[in-house]
Amino acid sequence: MLHHIAHRLLISIPVLIGVLFIGFLLMQVVPTDPATVLAGPTASAADVEAIREAMGLNEPVIVQFGMYLGRVLQGDLGRSLISNSEVIVELGNTVGPTIELMVASLIWAVPLGIAFGTFAAVRRGQISDRIIMAASVAGVSMPIFWFGLMLIQYVGFHWQLLPFQGRGGPLWTLDGLRHIALPAITLGGVFIGPVARMTRTSLLEVLGSDFVRTARAKGVSERTVVLTHALRNSLIPVITLIGLQIGFLLGGAVVTESMFAWPGVGRLAVGAIVSADYALSQGAILVLALSFILVNLIVDVLYAFLDPRVRAG
Amino acid sequence: MTEIQMQNPPGGTPGAAPGVGPEAEPGAGTSMIRSSVLRKLARDKGAMLSAIVLAIIVFCALFAPVLAPHDPYDNNLRNMLKPPSWTEGGLPEHLLGTDGQGRDIVTRLLYGTRTTLIMGLLAVLAGGLIGSALGLIAAYFRRLEGPIMRLVDILLSFPSILFGLAIAAVLGAGIFAITIALTIAAIPTIARITRGAALVQMQMEYITACRAIGMSDMRIIWRHLLPNCLSTIFVYLTLQLGQTILLGAALSFIGLGAQPPTAELGTMASEGRNFLFFAPHVSTIPSLVIFLIVLAFNVLGDALRDVLDPRLRQ
Repeated sequence: MLHHIAHRLLISIPVLIGVLFIGFLLMQVVPTDPATVLAGPTASAADVEAIREAMGLNEPVIVQFGMYLGRVLQGDLGRSLISNSEVIVELGNTVGPTIELMVASLIWAVPLGIAFGTFAAVRRGQISDRIIMAASVAGVSMPIFWFGLMLIQYVGFHWQLLPFQGRGGPLWTLDGLRHIALPAITLGGVFIGPVARMTRTSLLEVLGSDFVRTARAKGVSERTVVLTHALRNSLIPVITLIGLQIGFLLGGAVVTESMFAWPGVGRLAVGAIVSADYALSQGAILVLALSFILVNLIVDVLYAFLDPRVRAG
Repeated sequence: MTEIQMQNPPGGTPGAAPGVGPEAEPGAGTSMIRSSVLRKLARDKGAMLSAIVLAIIVFCALFAPVLAPHDPYDNNLRNMLKPPSWTEGGLPEHLLGTDGQGRDIVTRLLYGTRTTLIMGLLAVLAGGLIGSALGLIAAYFRRLEGPIMRLVDILLSFPSILFGLAIAAVLGAGIFAITIALTIAAIPTIARITRGAALVQMQMEYITACRAIGMSDMRIIWRHLLPNCLSTIFVYLTLQLGQTILLGAALSFIGLGAQPPTAELGTMASEGRNFLFFAPHVSTIPSLVIFLIVLAFNVLGDALRDVLDPRLRQ
């Protein structure tokens, strides 16, 4: 178990360095020379040179990368070019809403996907199975923004059922819940298909195994066989899939946040990139990548915890 | 769609990576087996329908300049946001209506599909080339396997959208940046699949025979290993194409891909957002086309996989 976690941690290190290097690269492509900006318009060439020296801009790239790492470790991600506020502060305000949105999407989509998948597996080959599987292929092929646009158009605008702009406050308030509903339906909606498909495949495999035959032979009701014996054993690949798809979910979150003006990291990142706010986009990409690595690590540990075979190593 | 246990192909080596179908066996009978693959595919109605839809879409995209009734950039503010011609207020010369700048939607769809398909195809081809090269090298030169597959794992574990964000941030938003991001996103899957298929081939006697007669490594890989893995690679390229196009459209939709006034399906859907409440067709129509393209690629890819690689299914 410990060995497994240590291994995963070790694998994360090159990823982490790669991500930080991209962040560093972003700070390098800033079209304006920071020393010239700092020195002001009246400074002489010698002054600019002195500032360059003081800022370490004349050092070799690798040293500058080291300096960048030092700053990042201290939480100094620079200032936004546009709002001039500290990047770390802006990011701090957006991480919460993104996590909220992702959790709110998973919480309804995963159980529903598992239910659909189980239903399809039990009715294998029948009409209901075919419909569910066809719907899941259609769901996987659907652009997430189209689903969101339709929700905005009908539920939000024509029927005026739910708001579709921004966040309405904490989730325990009615307004907060009403505001997160449409984004969470959009983001969760694209997740049902893959989960249903995986559950179905995995459950079918388990249903063909010896212990299921034994359970049936000793007269256990079909309901108990499926729900307690088989389903539980088939969930491990489903959990792996959910872990693997966290990146996919993150991608969906970026699009969903942009559509619903949800104040998360994804929307911040897109806004920063479009307006060429390098410091802010660097920070947002770093945070997105780091949280992704972290979530993966958590899923791995959870996985080891759930599957005794992995735990035993 | 049938499930995994539909058939058990001969030729898979026990204990090796997932097998490839019988068509991968070298030597006699290859063309006969190919035609049986086609026949099986022809019996799958969904696959045939998808192939026809794709053929029509590719034809339209290819001949966009000939087929388009108007100029894609020709705006006419007096005719803006006209609904499709069969609805009230529609104009006969604009079959699917006009967009926010009075440009003909049919025309922009034709050109937009072209841009979207080219972006997706280029990315999948480039990613497929790099990915399959990595996979073949990893399978053939066992010493390089560790480092290559670790790199592939890292790429695979990383969300594709982040490549898009990072590359657009460095290079600036645009088709070029997005195509590079899509390419990188396509590499790891193809590399893994190719390696799996190549590892099976490496167990076969003909590889040993090639080595025994002193054939060079490059020649073995190029003339023997690659041709026998091609069908597997092809199936996954088809499946990857759907995903790549979907991702590209999403990146364009959030403003990181094709920039206006370029006609691109994701960008068109995004432009239509502003008129969603009184002219929903402006964003609905391009979204629907993206959906159709991706759906067709996915259905076709699934069917190809069932026929060619029954054991590679999850």
